[in-house]
This record gives sequence, structure tokens and C-alpha cells, in this order.
Amino acid sequence: MSVYFPHKKLPYLLVLPQLVITLIFFLWPAEQAFEQAFYQEDAFGLSREFVGFDNFVYLFNDPQYYKSIWVTLVFSFSVAFSGLAIALWLAVMADRVIRGKLTYQTLLVWPYAVAPALAGVLWWLLFDPSMGPVALWLQYFGVDWNHFLNGDQAMTLVVISATWKQISYNFLFFLAGLQAVPRSLIEAASIDGASPFKRFWTIVFPLLSPTTFFLLVINLVYAFFDTFGVIDATTQGGPGVSTATMVYKVFNDGFIGLDMGSSAAQSVVLMFLVGVMTVIQFRYIERKVEY
Amino acid sequence: MSDVVLNNIGKTYPNGYHAIPSIDLTIEEGEFIVLVGPSGCGKSTLLRMVAGLETISQGDLMIKGAKVNDKEPADRDIAMVFQNYALYPHMTVYANMAYGLKNRGESKEVIAEKVTSVANMLGLEELLERKPKQLSGGQRQRVAMGRAMVRDPKVFLFDEPLSNLDAKLRVQMRVEIRQLQRKLGTTTLYVTHDQVEAMTLADRLVVLNKGKAEQIGTPMDLYNKPATPFVAAFIGSPSMNLIGANLDEQGIRLSQDLHLPLVHQHRGSVVWGIRPEHLDVVDEQNADFALRIQAVESLGAETLIHGTVDLGVKQEPIVVRLSGPHWPEINSLLWLKAPMEHWHVFDAVTQQRL
Ligand SMILES: Nc1ncnc2c1ncn2[C@@H]1O[C@H](COP(=O)(O)OP(=O)(O)OP(=O)(O)O)[C@@H](O)[C@H]1O
Ligand SMILES: [Mg+2]
Repeated sequence: MSVYFPHKKLPYLLVLPQLVITLIFFLWPAEQAFEQAFYQEDAFGLSREFVGFDNFVYLFNDPQYYKSIWVTLVFSFSVAFSGLAIALWLAVMADRVIRGKLTYQTLLVWPYAVAPALAGVLWWLLFDPSMGPVALWLQYFGVDWNHFLNGDQAMTLVVISATWKQISYNFLFFLAGLQAVPRSLIEAASIDGASPFKRFWTIVFPLLSPTTFFLLVINLVYAFFDTFGVIDATTQGGPGVSTATMVYKVFNDGFIGLDMGSSAAQSVVLMFLVGVMTVIQFRYIERKVEY
Repeated sequence: MSDVVLNNIGKTYPNGYHAIPSIDLTIEEGEFIVLVGPSGCGKSTLLRMVAGLETISQGDLMIKGAKVNDKEPADRDIAMVFQNYALYPHMTVYANMAYGLKNRGESKEVIAEKVTSVANMLGLEELLERKPKQLSGGQRQRVAMGRAMVRDPKVFLFDEPLSNLDAKLRVQMRVEIRQLQRKLGTTTLYVTHDQVEAMTLADRLVVLNKGKAEQIGTPMDLYNKPATPFVAAFIGSPSMNLIGANLDEQGIRLSQDLHLPLVHQHRGSVVWGIRPEHLDVVDEQNADFALRIQAVESLGAETLIHGTVDLGVKQEPIVVRLSGPHWPEINSLLWLKAPMEHWHVFDAVTQQRL
């Protein structure tokens, strides 16, 4: 179908706001970062010097950078895995509920509406070592909770806060996926002598695989690029750099460490990653997973 | 020994809907029973209760002498073929057929042997490595039957298995199902709303109407001696002509001026019926009534003539079925005789055959 606009200018006028926003908030900074990546700037931003690929060479020789890649991978896969697992479990439960179904579903969707920073603060309060109820409760059971000192605990905390929000989104997709599994398949399997547990793993879960794969990519992208707010509100990358993901390190090196060159080089690496992820997303998700 | 016994079986859905008030049915070993009735009469409900997919609200269900009301579907030793086939889309044809055996813990060799032998029987050898979506409708149907057959169950349950096939394939599969069932000798409960399918497949038919068994009997019993006007209208195609009438001293009074002589002690309103194939075309003197022709359907081997009979206060539609081709003129009169031995008379109040 083709749409015909009598005015030649109107269509341009209509997309103009979007174009301006993209230009000012995305393309311009991207271009700036790209340029910046090839310069070395002094701490006050008064002078700069062209250094070619030095920033990148330095970056890829920096053990701290590999540490942040590792942190990102651990963080992202933990978030994606626990987010998917918990959401799937909740969806299976909600799918079974007959009475008050809508109430459960609505409640489970709420977290998604909470701003990421707010979610971070919420968990930060709950887990605060000196007054957070969860932390005190853990200490009561002998777990020495202090995510300001313990890097693993800090990682656990950011994973929890980042996952919590994503569960709603995953839940909705899993629930829709579950409801799309024909009842007669489940019935056929139960006549074929499969226990509920076996039915789930041999029939339902394989049929959900397109949904699962889609969500896996979405969640990884989320954990990679969209969790700055959560980390900043809970651990600020600490203790040390144990929860500083690649994105967080860009901010840290640039705005705290004032090393603009390195920060910009890291941004360029991230942009490259975004590009790769986008290609994966389009190539595989559009084509759907075959079962 | 009777194989499957339904004793006062009833179903009330959780929303309070009384789908089946009470049904009694005794199925002998190896019998092919067809449940037939209009949409929504409770056929699937009944079948699914036997399968264990719906709870039984009332009564006892016995399979091979054991009460199975509370047994899981898997423990009833039944196999079911669904209307949409319900093949597992992510598994090959082989895996689909092997699934039930695998769940029972059969060894790989036994599974391979059973699946192969059933696949040979159904002509599925070439398709074993395909996924369901790579099959035609007829092939899927076969796989669904194969999946039911490999487990060698005590009872086969079919829920409208042929309704997604085209007319020709339906006839072919119908014959095939009957032959297979004879060969295997497995007790079968088969649901359909197609009365031709029902008549051709069944050893005995159960005609369901609003959850009640109107009549249970062989196809010929139901054709020759329908117990109620509902069965009379449902069995046979085109439907039996049924006319509301009065039974008095002179016989069946269809209208003020038209009566068919009959000696019977019953008095009052009745439903009088005759099948389209039992009306004879005669000359005016011997006729019982005249038909004003409205439409003629020539099917080559037979001709269906639709028209109305003038009953004074109303024009009653009547269908006549004649063998061979005929070309009567529309709006002309056709003189008909209704031989008494082919009459069906029902009490209009109790709806029972007189
Ligand atoms: N889960 C349910 N809850 C309440 N009522 C139901 C439920 N399932 C079926 N019914 C009702 O029970 C009646 C019988 O349904 P059933 O599916 O057995 O009909 P059927 O004879 O198989 O019809 P069809 O030929 O259309 O498949 C229908 O009136 C239907 O609306
Ligand atoms: Mg049905």
C-alpha cells in the first residue's frame, strides 16, 4: 500500500521533531565521542592533542578494562538467566490460577513502571547493612551482609535490583507464550503418560523457545546498556570496581576520573557492540527460532 | 466381558452448566460405538470424561471391570485422536509416535520395532523424519492415528478426527479407520456430527441431544425404527419429512380435508413422518396428496424434489427422493403415495414412537 501526501513538505515536518531529537541527543554526542576518542585532553578540558589510536591501545592493554568486561558478562548473564527463570516460573503459576487471574497479572506488571533509579534506591534501602530490613534479617541468620565491603554481595545486589524490574516484562511475554500453547497438546501428552513436570520440559518449554530466545537477547541488551541507573543508585560500581560494568566505567572514567579520551574510546567500543547486538536481534529474532 | 461401562454418568461444568444429565452405556469388547448429535450436545464432553480430561461429576466409569473415575488419563490405557490432531510440532513423526512409549519406559529397540510396524501399516515409512508442519492434512491425520495405535490401548477415542479433511479424503479415511479397527479389534468410541460418517462406521450409534441419549442402537435400528422425532430427523439424508398431525378414529389427520387412514387406539396430537426415499410417485386416483414442486436437485444417480403440500392453514415443505434423473417442471403438481409400512408416528407430547 502506498500513501500519497499532497504536500511535499508535510511529511518532513512531521518527522522533524524526531530527527532533531536523534540529532541532538544521539548523533551529535556519538560524533563527539568518536572524535574525542582520538584525542588526549587535559583534566580541565582546556587543551587537547591528537593521539591517533593511542586511547584504544591503552584501553586494550589495561587489565582494569578486561575486569569491567568480565563484570559486565557476569552481571548480564546473571540478570538474563535469573530474570528469565523467575519470570517463567511466575508465568507458569499465573497461567494455572483461575480465580483472580487479572489481579495477579496486574500486580506482577507493576515493577516495570518503576523508574530504574527508584528501583535501585528501593533495593539499596532494603539491603542497607546497618538498617535495611533484608540485610538485618540476613545478619540474623548469620550471613554477614555488607555489600559496601563484599564485592560478590555487591554484585548480587545489583543483579537483584536489575532483574527485579525486568521480570515483569519477561513475565508478560512468557504468559502470552504459555497461553498460545494449544491445550490439546498438553492433553495429548497427559494421555501419552507424561507427568506434569515432564510435560513442561518436553512439550511446553520447547514450544516457548522462540519467546525464550527473544527475551534472552532483549535481557542481555538491557543488562549491557540499560542498567546504569540501577548500578549508580545501589553500589556506584563499588566496592572498588566489582560492580562497574562497561557502561558504568565510561561514566566513571569520563566524569569522575576526567579521562575523556579513554572514556570516549570506551564509548566507541560500546557503540560497536550495540551495532553487533542490533544485527543479531534483526537477523535472528525477525526470522524466529525454528522448532 | 463388557469393555467400557458408563453407569449413570453426568457432567456439570464448574460454571454450573449441566452439560450431561445422565447417560448409561455398555460397550462390548471390540465394538465400534459412534456418538453423534448436533453441535453443543455434549459429545466431546462425554468422550473427554472417558479419556480423563474432564472430571466425572456423577456416576461410574468402568474400563475392563475396574472403576477408573479418579484415574489419570495415562492410567486408563486409552488413546485419543484429537480433531486438530494435536501432534507435537517440535518433534518428528517418529518422536511423536514414540513419545507415549518412551514415557512408559519401553526400551529403544521395542519402541523402534513398534513404531516401524505401525508406520508400515499406515504407510508412514517415508515420513518418519519429518516434522508435522511438513505434512499434508491427511498425513497428519494418519500420524495422529499412528500415535494412538502404537501404544496398543484398550480403548480408542476419536473426537471428530476427519472434520478437517476434504470430502474425498474423508470418505477414504473413514473406510480405512473402519478396516483398521476391525483388524486390531480395539474397542472404539468415536465422536462425529456427520450422520453419514456415523452410519457407515458404527456397530452401534448413540444419538445425543442436549446431553441425553435419545436412542442407542445399530444404524439400521435407528434408520428403521427411530425412537423419537429428533432421531428420525437426524438420521438419514435428506432428513425425514415430519408433519404435525392429529390421530383420530379415521387415522392421521394432516388437515381439515386430508387424512391418511389408520386404525390405532391412540388419540391426540402426533408427529407423522416418512422418509424422502419412501414416497412413491403415482397417478392422481391412487395418491395420498399432491406436491407443488419448488426446486429440483438432480444428482445424476438420484433426484431430490423439494415442494410443499397444501394443508389448508399451512404449506408443509416436503422432500421426495427419486432414483435416476427426473426433470419435472417447477410449480407443477406431483402426486404422491405414502405407503403405510414406511410411516413413523410419534406422540407429539411425549415425543415417543407409537
Ligand atoms: N469448560 C466448559 N465450561 C462450561 N460449559 C462448557 C465447557 N465446555 C463445554 N461446555 C458446554 O457444554 C456443552 C457441550 O459441549 P461439547 O463440547 O461436549 O459439545 P459437542 O457435542 O462436542 O459439540 P461440537 O460438535 O460443536 O464439538 C456445550 O453447550 C458447551 O457450551
Ligand atoms: Mg466437540
